[in-house]
Amino acid sequence: MSSLSVARPDLLRSARARRFWRHGGLELALVTLLALALWTAISASIARPDRYLPSPVSVLDSSRDLLWKGILPNYLGQTLWRLVTGSLIGIALGIPFGILVGLNRTVSEMCYPILNFFQSISGIALLPIVMIWWGTTEKTVFVVVLYTCFFPIAFSVLTGVRSTPRIYVNALRTLGASRLRIVRDVLLPGAMPSIATGARLSIGYAWRAVIAGEMLAGRRGIGWMIFSAQQVDRTAQVVLGMALIGVLWILLDRYVLRPIESDTIQRWGLVQR
Amino acid sequence: MYDGEFAAVVGPSGCGKTTLLNILAGLLPYRHGTVQVDGVPVKGPGSDRGVVFQEHAILPWRTVARNIGHGLELQGVPRQERRRRVREFVELVGLAGFEERYPHELSGGMKQRVALARTLCANPVIMLMDEPFAAVDAQTRITLQEELNRIAIATRKTILLVTHNVDEAAFLGDRCFVFTRRPGRLKATVTIHIPRDRRIWKEVVADPAFTARRDEILELVRAEVRVE
Repeated sequence: MSSLSVARPDLLRSARARRFWRHGGLELALVTLLALALWTAISASIARPDRYLPSPVSVLDSSRDLLWKGILPNYLGQTLWRLVTGSLIGIALGIPFGILVGLNRTVSEMCYPILNFFQSISGIALLPIVMIWWGTTEKTVFVVVLYTCFFPIAFSVLTGVRSTPRIYVNALRTLGASRLRIVRDVLLPGAMPSIATGARLSIGYAWRAVIAGEMLAGRRGIGWMIFSAQQVDRTAQVVLGMALIGVLWILLDRYVLRPIESDTIQRWGLVQR
Repeated sequence: MYDGEFAAVVGPSGCGKTTLLNILAGLLPYRHGTVQVDGVPVKGPGSDRGVVFQEHAILPWRTVARNIGHGLELQGVPRQERRRRVREFVELVGLAGFEERYPHELSGGMKQRVALARTLCANPVIMLMDEPFAAVDAQTRITLQEELNRIAIATRKTILLVTHNVDEAAFLGDRCFVFTRRPGRLKATVTIHIPRDRRIWKEVVADPAFTARRDEILELVRAEVRVE
């Protein structure tokens, strides 16, 4: 079932294909090709490329082996699962926290430096202490990912709530709205664009935290693969892992996170003149 | 204020007109005196006093119909009943056909009609208006003033309007309360003896009963404007 083969050129002109090419698909393809060419050239020009920088072809070659044994899909699934659980729960906790703190000016001013403090301590800087607490366990990786997500999203929500025009809140109060209704009808929708942007940002941070966590505290997973391959000098596998991190992120960002963000902003960010 | 009266508070900029209105609305605390609605003292905002704000305070993520029905939604009015009353007020303010539009698709004047309908639809005892037409152009303002007069007649609502526009105060008010400059105090009360249904701009400008009163208010206000 080769639905995009040249034997059916009409499908290349389908709505989906047109959309792909129009929204920077061509640029993406060109840049990818260029980068691969440059990579190959550098690899060919250095001594002992297998030790220092294997070419794209030999990286793919090493992945065939991993794929065939079913190790790679297993690792990928593991890593993505850690990302999804950690970041979703982190976001789910961060949103109500940001709203609660944002309700009151004094409280939000007090919490601001605290949030800023923790936001500056990246997941990888938190890893050592968490490893002292829970060792190299699944819990350690989960906590670090959750932590990494929590602060950026809480920060964004707080900012979103604080920047919702006071006049909307006052208007609702004069219509007889309770505090809860004000949160539901004004603050939450008003903060929606910030929530969407914050969520995308924090999932980006979480992606790095998953890899870092797997390197130091995980078993299996892409991060763990990179780290253990380095220790036995399998450079091709190290590079494969790096490439996978980047490619997966581009796909996730382009086909999941960005559409959600722009839809949300379009729906809720209808700014008045 | 009398039941069903239209009162206009007029005074120089910065005399505290908006502050007064926010106190009446319950959005600001007051140190002296009392505010009572039907003998009940005011403690904080409540749906007995509806407010139409200076800026467009309608929610940009709600359609016209959902904005207008917001007060009823908060009061727990069932959907069917809500829909019926929203339709009534949409027609009253002349927005039929725009129910499903979002505020960013509307002109400034239309947004203020939505804000007006939202407040009226919640059926407050008294409607407070804070310079509601300050942000629209002169032609639209005149139309909206005539519309507001028509709506005030139709709904028999007690209305208090705050404005720095003397023409507006004289055109709409049964009584105009003129305030002194800061700190604002009541300076004079001017009664306009023109029946509401005869208040059409084209006619009143030629009516000495109107122009004399308007000029009287204008003099009172101008005396308060500090010469720089």
